[in-house]
Amino acid sequence: MANTFAFAESRGGALRRVAFEAVSAARALADASGGGEVHAMLVGAPGIASLAGELGKYGADMVIVVEHAGLANANVEALAATAAARIKAGGYRAAIFSASAQGRDLAPRVAAQLGVSMAADVTAFELAGDALVVKHPAYAGKVIATLKLTGSPAIVTLRPGARAAVEAVREARVESAQPTSDPGASKLVVKEMIVGGGTKLDIGDAPVIVSGGRGLKSAENFKLVEDLAAAFGNAAVGATRAVTDDGWRPHSDQIGQTGRQVSPELYVALGISGAIQHIAGMRNSRTIVAINKDKEAPIFKVADYGIVGDVIEILPVLTAAVKEARAKG
Amino acid sequence: MKIAVCIKRVPDMETRFKIAASGTAVDEAGLKYDMSDFDGYAVETALQLNEKQGPGETVVISLGPDVVQEQLRKALSMGADRAVQLKAERVPTDGLVIARALAAELKGGAYDLIFFGRQAVDSANATVGPMVAELLGLPCATAVSTLDIANGRGTARRDLEGAAEIVEFALPAVVTIDEGMPRARYPSLKGIMAAKKKPLEVKPAQLGEERLTLEKMELPPERAAGRIVGEGPGAVAELVRLLHTEAKVL
Amino acid sequence: MRTENAVFLLVLLLAAGFFSYNVQRLLSYLSIAQPDDRSGHPLVRLKNVITVAFLQKKILRDPVAGPMHALIFWGFVVLTVGTIELLLNGSFPAFSYAFLPSQLYTFYSISQDVFGALVLGAIAFAFYRRLVLHPERLEGDGLEHSDALLILGAIAGLMVTMFAVNAFGLALEPDSITRAKPLSLALSIPLRNLPTGLLTGAHAVFWWMHALLVLAFLNYLPYSKHLHIVSSIPNVYFSNSQGPGPKGVIRFLDLEAENVEQFGAADVDQMTWKDLLDGYTCTECGRCTSVCPAHLTGKVLSPRKIIIDTRRRLMEKAPLMLGDYSEVAHHALVHGEGDEGSMSATAILEHRLLDNFITEEELWQCTTCRACIQECPVGIEHLDHIVDMRRNLVLMESRFPPEVLPTFESMERNGSPWAFRPDDRAKWADGLDIPTMAELTERGESPEILFWVGCMGSFDDRSKKISVAFARILQAAGVPFAILGQEETCNGDPARRMGNEYLYQTLAKQNIETLTRCDVKTIVTFCPHCFHQIGNEYPQLGGNYEVIHHSTYIERLLEAGRVPFDTDAGKTLTMAYHDSCYLGRYNDVYDAPRETLRRALPIVTMVEPERTRDRGMCCGAGGGRMFMEETQGKRINIERAEQLLATGADTLAVACPFCMTMISDGVKAKGSDVPVLDISEVVASRLRV
Ligand SMILES: Cc1cc2nc3c(=O)[nH]c(=O)nc-3n(C[C@H](O)[C@H](O)[C@H](O)COP(=O)(O)OP(=O)(O)OC[C@H]3O[C@@H](n4cnc5c(N)ncnc54)[C@H](O)[C@@H]3O)c2cc1C
Ligand code: SF4
Ligand code: SF4
Repeated sequence: MANTFAFAESRGGALRRVAFEAVSAARALADASGGGEVHAMLVGAPGIASLAGELGKYGADMVIVVEHAGLANANVEALAATAAARIKAGGYRAAIFSASAQGRDLAPRVAAQLGVSMAADVTAFELAGDALVVKHPAYAGKVIATLKLTGSPAIVTLRPGARAAVEAVREARVESAQPTSDPGASKLVVKEMIVGGGTKLDIGDAPVIVSGGRGLKSAENFKLVEDLAAAFGNAAVGATRAVTDDGWRPHSDQIGQTGRQVSPELYVALGISGAIQHIAGMRNSRTIVAINKDKEAPIFKVADYGIVGDVIEILPVLTAAVKEARAKG
Repeated sequence: MKIAVCIKRVPDMETRFKIAASGTAVDEAGLKYDMSDFDGYAVETALQLNEKQGPGETVVISLGPDVVQEQLRKALSMGADRAVQLKAERVPTDGLVIARALAAELKGGAYDLIFFGRQAVDSANATVGPMVAELLGLPCATAVSTLDIANGRGTARRDLEGAAEIVEFALPAVVTIDEGMPRARYPSLKGIMAAKKKPLEVKPAQLGEERLTLEKMELPPERAAGRIVGEGPGAVAELVRLLHTEAKVL
Repeated sequence: MRTENAVFLLVLLLAAGFFSYNVQRLLSYLSIAQPDDRSGHPLVRLKNVITVAFLQKKILRDPVAGPMHALIFWGFVVLTVGTIELLLNGSFPAFSYAFLPSQLYTFYSISQDVFGALVLGAIAFAFYRRLVLHPERLEGDGLEHSDALLILGAIAGLMVTMFAVNAFGLALEPDSITRAKPLSLALSIPLRNLPTGLLTGAHAVFWWMHALLVLAFLNYLPYSKHLHIVSSIPNVYFSNSQGPGPKGVIRFLDLEAENVEQFGAADVDQMTWKDLLDGYTCTECGRCTSVCPAHLTGKVLSPRKIIIDTRRRLMEKAPLMLGDYSEVAHHALVHGEGDEGSMSATAILEHRLLDNFITEEELWQCTTCRACIQECPVGIEHLDHIVDMRRNLVLMESRFPPEVLPTFESMERNGSPWAFRPDDRAKWADGLDIPTMAELTERGESPEILFWVGCMGSFDDRSKKISVAFARILQAAGVPFAILGQEETCNGDPARRMGNEYLYQTLAKQNIETLTRCDVKTIVTFCPHCFHQIGNEYPQLGGNYEVIHHSTYIERLLEAGRVPFDTDAGKTLTMAYHDSCYLGRYNDVYDAPRETLRRALPIVTMVEPERTRDRGMCCGAGGGRMFMEETQGKRINIERAEQLLATGADTLAVACPFCMTMISDGVKAKGSDVPVLDISEVVASRLRV
């Protein structure tokens, strides 16, 4: 009947989806261990306490709110010290962080401070006696490792999206706490926060790349490609060498053997035949979609999903559908 | 500056892995090894810093069996000055055990900077770097995509999901290197020859008990082969559905 | 001996002495170079000297300048015999060739006059060409015409004075034995009436003019590009460009040798003596640059400049290296000096050939097509210079275009230039019932041939179709064959051509190990790069196999009637075949692909592009260019595609997977839909099913 700790991530005064996933996972773990409490830690600038109720919705019995003007931006050293102290004091069986950029920065420090081992980026977990058994994708996702974590508390970071947050509404109590270490004394400080949007995404960074080939027929038609990229919101536009040679797009957009090599989450190939020189630059993308009017085009051999047809005709429909899907969230 | 770079030997990720008979490792037959990509960036970053900022020393450290000397030699052939192997029969699964062994080695080294790759591309844990920082009481910037070092201070960019932060810290510090930093240079033959004569020290790794252990390794369910969703604009709805529910990229 | 004879003898000795002093200096400069054993096969080398130097085989490839130069050269050889007589006669008045049998002497006399006239005519044309026609290939690379014009003038002067000497001589003694010189005799007739004193005086003046001109000419040579008159004969003798051995083989680099600290060349003293002799020998004729695909598409590379720069640098550095800091030494002996006269010795020594003369950019633009070497009339081997400097860039300094890094890394890790999984290598053969060598060995069988597929044939979608086509032909012909499957790795050619000898040798040794283990004797491949590499360059590492290109192999099968064709006569096609450099210029395979096409399609009309066979233009992929971005000038593949399309052919044929990519990309970029096929695909399309 041990309690479980969850770290609820927020950014800019709002909770992130991963916060609910962490709380929900902690709830499941607590339930599995016979019904202990879930204590979620919520850290931020003064005023953040107002979000505590939302965490109750996903199963937090108590929300530990740490409000401090110096914590408006993530201050990882203060966070680590505060979380570690609280975890230690609370005698938790397990502590769940998100395997987000922030969580992966934070959790190992907490583990080291507590002198316990941890499991990173897990997609599933279950209790097995004293131990926590977790699944962790390794080798670029080509192997799934099953790991056994012993010792207490068991610290894990949970892969975003791996476990959907499930509602389990409670009336969460709120406990106010102070940071254990002075945020102003941190040796590492966030000078500036750059929030997405505005700046154009580079094809090297973009999670989604919408890429056009000679099948688009003209520079003007790239407007359709840009529209699709805009609909995704987090997409950059790429091109084949045939396109950059014809000057429809700048050379810096060229993807392939002698251009940029990319591996986004999603790569959409529009009117691209799939020459080896192009494939060499994008085949490591996680998911590949191809639209080409020639069903024999080699691009379909590397694509996960393909549509055979006229890209000019399909693009507006696709853009609209993506917009709609994004709006639904 | 005195910079330490901790590197790991990993198999080439292009391989179609098979699971060894033991069920707790990948089959090593035919695997090609190199240093983990991000570790390569880290070595490159260290070399460039020392090349630009005048005299310094770049020390590469790897924990593992004797085969890791191959990767240490590669780092030396890129231009690192000396290497240390923390000899262990195998690389532990538990990051804390590794971090403690490395911290013990790094502790008295008077390093201005200690670099790691953001994560090893095989085990993909990203825990050792920040743990070492914590054990040594040093500031740590993880997963940085830019890095400036000037007047004993560092400035780095960390990419977060859909945002980024610029962090500042004082040296000495631990930094883990992500995409965006320079790729590892290609060692010249001259460098390879020179590396043969550079010092490579072998010390036993001080390994504690592991509390994270490997139970099993398995291959994920075969990813469905690519398929044609349909023809023409009519197929768009199905495509978007699949992207949402199956590929989870929407 | 009269005083004037004694004076002349003195002049002669002084001139000869100065000449030999300079020749010796030039020879001593070669001593700074690296060794290169080119002593073998003297007979083949002599044959090259006869055909290339004496019969002017290469020179005559140019229909205009060729005969002109050949005439001057042959005239020069013939007239030298006369010059010797004249010089000896000046010192020892009693000397002449008159002791020869009279018929021979008559023949000799006639030859002097006839060639004198021919040379004069050729010189006149040469002047016209340089001053009026301004052929493009004689321009550029900072060349000056003054040297050439001076030499032409000198030769003209020699001819005129020779005729004058003979004419005045015959006017004095109309019955002399030299009257067999018809032109001189004719010229002498109007002179006969002049007073004897005047005739004697004029004869003496012209004789001295001629003799001094000869000696001046001789001593001008070491300061001029016309040094080739002397150096081209040894250069052709020592050149490997026409054999002995297979053509275009890159010099072996011993990477395991003790205490070697320099790999490749960054400066002249790191090059071989033959590279430096190339420098002395270059006539600046520009034949090389005029056919260079990089140059023709507006890039900075000019093979002529590479050679001239080698010479310029040698001239400024060698004297200093040999401890000769005198002012004269700074002054380049051979024509082509830059402004180095104004540089301090230290500055000169700090310079080097690479970077200060030849840029990285030039070196990476070369497609290693061998067109330059093919054209060079004096046996210069440009690629030795280029590859050696690339070797220095890669092996010593790790400098190469950024996009090449993944190529090297993939070759190293995955055994092919792209990061595809090695275990997918034989995927193209799925379901085709093609055994691997390992499978056959297990069954205790051994095939007739090993089909070496190559990286393109294994991984490139377009080329996989060629693999299938060729395999189908072999199956239809009942040839027992196998592939290596996953055991095959890249042959290493791109790495070697890009200067990465280390990576090349790693890959090559691995392949040789596999081939030896599988006891392979005969290899057939459709990739000319694999063909050349395994057949001609693996022997350097101890791999000796019979390697046959599929064009030759299919031709043999067709000839033997082993390929079952459909009775249907097939479609009528007008085809233009594009010669692959590594098949053609490297291996002299020109007819087999054409013959294969003809036999496969009895109703085919072959049309030839303007540049064809050994003059064919590269597609742009060789020398590792396939893996580099082409940033300057026009795309080579587009230029070549235009040339091929200009034939009006309705189908283009290639016999190389790299050419396939380049030409089809070029054709597409031109918006044309003319199909590009491999010769095996043409044959396979006619197979009876
Ligand atoms: C040295 C070298 C380096 C190279 N490097 C690169 C590189 O880095 N990156 C790169 O991309 N390429 C590179 N290439 C070029 C490569 O070989 C291909 O030529 C190029 O990728 C083709 O581009 P594409 O697919 O846009 O054009 P194409 O091959 O012409 O394909 C157009 C495709 O569009 C389809 N299509 C046409 N109309 C429509 C329509 N209305 N609706 C739907 N589909 C349609 C066609 O079916 C066809 O499949 C390189 C080539 C060389 C030689
Ligand atoms: S080999 Fe071909 S590309 Fe290279 S310099 Fe000679 S002619 Fe030019
Ligand atoms: S290298 Fe040969 S072809 Fe080129 S300019 Fe010199 S002599 Fe002529």
